[in-house]
Amino acid sequence: MAPPKKMFYRRRVCRFCTDKELVINYKDPKTLRSFVTERGKIIPKRIFGTCATHQRQLNEAIKRARHLALLPYTGTIQF
Amino acid sequence: MRQYETTFILRPNLGEDQFTEIIDRTCGIITDDGGVIIDVDRWGIKRLAYEIKKESMGYYVCLNYAAPGTTIEEVERIFRIDDRLLRFLTIKLADEIDTDGIEKEKEAFASRDMEEEPEGAEEAAESEPTAASTTTDEAKAEEKPAEKEEQPSDDK
Repeated sequence: MAPPKKMFYRRRVCRFCTDKELVINYKDPKTLRSFVTERGKIIPKRIFGTCATHQRQLNEAIKRARHLALLPYTGTIQF
Repeated sequence: MRQYETTFILRPNLGEDQFTEIIDRTCGIITDDGGVIIDVDRWGIKRLAYEIKKESMGYYVCLNYAAPGTTIEEVERIFRIDDRLLRFLTIKLADEIDTDGIEKEKEAFASRDMEEEPEGAEEAAESEPTAASTTTDEAKAEEKPAEKEEQPSDDK
């Protein structure tokens, strides 16, 4: 059996906890855009390391922004 | 009284008069029910992320107000009937707001507007499409370094 692969985890900290000035607001698609994939999917917190509280707020904000056509449900926006 | 925020999208080809008319009518419904308008924010015509009712642009308006809950029903009922509106979204900001709170909120909005106007007004007037394109570039640029950072950690 192969020896267990050594894994190094970089401790990811929530961006919203470290940067207090970064607020989650559904009216601000610029910030929200960095938390969705190119296809418009919400990036899971296991990838980004956002804490549960902020991930929940983020989800809510992204979904609101989608409803208002500030963010796409699917696909990229062609500008 | 509760504090609410309603954002709605209007068809862009209506013209300034109809925009104002719809906003005034909505404000009228709120104030008639004993509500208080705290802030009216017109974002102007923006490109929609996807087409709504065959429209690819929309005129965004954001109202911030204090009103009893029953007002929302009435406002949304009118919104549903009116087909000049593409979308609306109402959000509760605070469960309870008194007259002092309303005054404070108004001041906060007024000071924010004062700060934003000197730079914001010029940018908006000059070139909205170019501003939008730069933001998408920024978003892409932000994503790329993040990916690079993660790759080395996986190799180890």
